[in-house]
Amino acid sequence: MTGAQIAILALAALSVGLGAWTVRRDAPPAWRFAAPVPLVAEGAPAFDTVLDYTAPAGQAHSPGVALGEGGFDILWFEGSQEAQADVDIFAASVTRGDGGWRVGAPRRRVTRAALGAAMEPPQLVVTLGNTIENENASGALYTTAVSVGGWAMASVADVRMGPEGPLGARKLNLSPLLNRSHLVKSPMVEYADGSHALPAYFEMGQMHGVLVRLDARGRVRDAARMDAPGLQPIQPMIVPQDATRAVAFLRDFDAARGRLLISRTTDGGRTWSRVRQTDIPSPSAPVAALSLGGARILAAMNDDPDAPGDLRLSLSEDAGETWRVLHRFRADEGALRYPMLRRLKDDSIVLAYSKGTKRGITAHVFNAAWALQQ
Amino acid sequence: MGAATVSGLLEQAALAVLIGWLAWALGGMALSPVPATALGAAIGLGAVTVFAGTLPIAALIALLAPFGVMLPALALRQVGAHLGLPVAPFSTLELAAFLVAYLVFLAAAMGAVPVDLYRFGYAPLPVALMTLAVCAYGFATGNLFLPLVAVAGQLAWALGWGSSNWFDHVLHVLLIPIVLTILAQRLI
Repeated sequence: MTGAQIAILALAALSVGLGAWTVRRDAPPAWRFAAPVPLVAEGAPAFDTVLDYTAPAGQAHSPGVALGEGGFDILWFEGSQEAQADVDIFAASVTRGDGGWRVGAPRRRVTRAALGAAMEPPQLVVTLGNTIENENASGALYTTAVSVGGWAMASVADVRMGPEGPLGARKLNLSPLLNRSHLVKSPMVEYADGSHALPAYFEMGQMHGVLVRLDARGRVRDAARMDAPGLQPIQPMIVPQDATRAVAFLRDFDAARGRLLISRTTDGGRTWSRVRQTDIPSPSAPVAALSLGGARILAAMNDDPDAPGDLRLSLSEDAGETWRVLHRFRADEGALRYPMLRRLKDDSIVLAYSKGTKRGITAHVFNAAWALQQ
Repeated sequence: MGAATVSGLLEQAALAVLIGWLAWALGGMALSPVPATALGAAIGLGAVTVFAGTLPIAALIALLAPFGVMLPALALRQVGAHLGLPVAPFSTLELAAFLVAYLVFLAAAMGAVPVDLYRFGYAPLPVALMTLAVCAYGFATGNLFLPLVAVAGQLAWALGWGSSNWFDHVLHVLLIPIVLTILAQRLI
């Protein structure tokens, strides 16, 4: 036996020890969704427009909603134009006071420079995109960050926030391609063990949706794909029905096909059915959806082929197979896009979307009684 | 020291090695191995300490991180070989087989292959088995370098330093142009 082989045997022994240690301390993800709590339509119908913001110049697009005590923050990206090197994340805080909802002045929440400086070691961040709440950590966000190139070269950054901006940040490890080409759009999915999974999507090559499971430290522990050869499924919006079943609505990046995509899981998100087209028209636009309990789903979609800029609020009683239109938000000047639906702690529902073809952000708060009486 | 801090230091160290390797390679055209190595070490260390946080360094980190173990290990291996350390070169067949396998792996990551091979790099049991397989290959061929990288990658991965995926510790997309260059040199 050579000296090299002896050394390799020692390395193998070390590897066996490391393997035993990592297997023993590993906490693999539990694949059982938190059962959605039914949302009951009770009380008087209520509907408020809490934010109607137009960017002073350029574009404001892709709102996310981060829940907080006594209200929520609406987050969006704003700059001269999408994917340009002057885009930062803005936010407006919405709180409920005695006289109803109050909205604070929009302000820069995450700048490119601050995000880059918060990484260890500091990294260049050229532009920012879709941003959502990281529900696994208080006050944390996931933002889409680009250091070089366009959206296909984006990474998802886990951003831990302080009162003045990012305190720490790191990119999630989702791809061996220089950690590139993953983005976020939709809110996280809650699991029965209290953890939350991150819906993301891959934009290079064969596009696909991904459900990302994270460990207790926020590092990627597993990732399950939603895929279909020949389709370009992105921006998965996942709605659990019970502990094991969920439906994902996905945007087809190819606008020519003009249909919303769908995938389902029956094992808590570990595996997903092959993504397929639905009959629902879609101008290659993402949808927002929210469980009302069981198979009942409330969704906001651009599903009118005669008015693709309009956003329609619809209800499904059969987990997304059929839909009944409840309300139409008309696009007077430019399309209404990128809806985000979140359920607030008082069971109100917030709907945010971009208006005027990326010119500004609108947000409404309503209750189930209002939605279902439409 | 937290895992994030150690991860940051390791990324900086890896970048220092790569910048130093580049300086060593360029310096080696005019200098003998020892002064070229000293020059590379000085430039590599200087770049990431004096210019830490500057646009070029921040851009290189953003562009190439996570560096992992393999790239800096290869750079150090080449420098070591020129300094007279015994280094067994990879055979042409090994390099060609690696190139094909790695391209399939990347194609799978891009969705061109239905199996997501990268997913195995998050889980401890597959990582343990893959590392031992590399050790077995190294034992059979007498190649210490690959087991060293695989186990070092497993150690960093287990301690939460750098990427949460083992493959990022032992592979890097820059290996493709590197291997292609070596194969082309051998063909010429």
